[in-house]
Amino acid sequence: MTYMEVPDKRVTVEEAYDDLSRRSLSKIRGDLARLIYLASTRDYNTGKYHHDGLAARFQAEIAGQALAQAHSEIFCRLAACSLQELVEEVDIYVSCSQQSREEILEVWQKLEPYRVALPVDVNVAVAQLFVSNVKLALAILCLRQQLEAMEASAS
Amino acid sequence: MIGSASLVAGAVLLLLLLAVVTKGWLAARQLQDVAPASREEDEMEPCAEEVVSRIFSRADWEFVRGLKAGRIERLFEQERKRVALVWVRQTSATIRKVMREHAEAARQSANLQFSMEINILAQFLTLMAVCGTLSMAIQIAGPLWLGGLAQYAQRLSQQVMKLQESFQAGILAKAEGAGRG
Repeated sequence: MTYMEVPDKRVTVEEAYDDLSRRSLSKIRGDLARLIYLASTRDYNTGKYHHDGLAARFQAEIAGQALAQAHSEIFCRLAACSLQELVEEVDIYVSCSQQSREEILEVWQKLEPYRVALPVDVNVAVAQLFVSNVKLALAILCLRQQLEAMEASAS
Repeated sequence: MIGSASLVAGAVLLLLLLAVVTKGWLAARQLQDVAPASREEDEMEPCAEEVVSRIFSRADWEFVRGLKAGRIERLFEQERKRVALVWVRQTSATIRKVMREHAEAARQSANLQFSMEINILAQFLTLMAVCGTLSMAIQIAGPLWLGGLAQYAQRLSQQVMKLQESFQAGILAKAEGAGRG
């Protein structure tokens, strides 16, 4: 292999990232759902990301880096968004799910599964802000649901 | 009479400043209870400015207040207070780590610049005092009125880090120059 044939690793990660964004992430509605999806491609034991399709088109290592990059970027976006925006994100996620709204809100408040969606090297304060905001968003959606139920029973 | 009153006032101010610096120091040590030591060591990168603004955001508070639900308001106040304190402790711990590294590098340096050392020390002490003030004020009144002070602490911590980086870069350059010569 000559020097010219050595692929530029950074460009390849960017290509894999673009491919991931175009083929998978663009089809998922809402950043929170994208975050949960990306976190689900990460192995609980090793912390490494894996995506069959992406690994087949690129190398497994490159695919893993692209997934990690996307995960980190979406997380940062969500952590910095306003509480109102996050409430909308959680609302979109809950609305798009096949389970009942009440069930998801209840389980998410009890089990706090969103904690698993944090990237590995995230800043502690940023992680705390995200977890805290999701907790608040869930409480706000529960309140809205209670108010809607009360209005419905009154009318 | 006026002279002794000034002396007493000065002593009180000095004691207050010492208390605030000590509070900042203690706040930094408490981070070890919140985050494991290894995480603290890893997290040299401070929070992005937009995250700091978000933690101390009044816009989020206005949104919550608009819901007219006391339970949510209380939860918000409690949560933001907790997150703000974590941020203060983290900033304080990060800067202490930078100062430890700086002290280590300074010990090995042959020709220290007195003015630069004084500058770094002054900024470090100011930052510790600001962190102590923030920590106390957050516990007393919550974080929503302290956005400006938090941004100031954020900028100051970045300045201290940059000073330490340029100091370290200077030492490396000198060592490389000596190696070649």
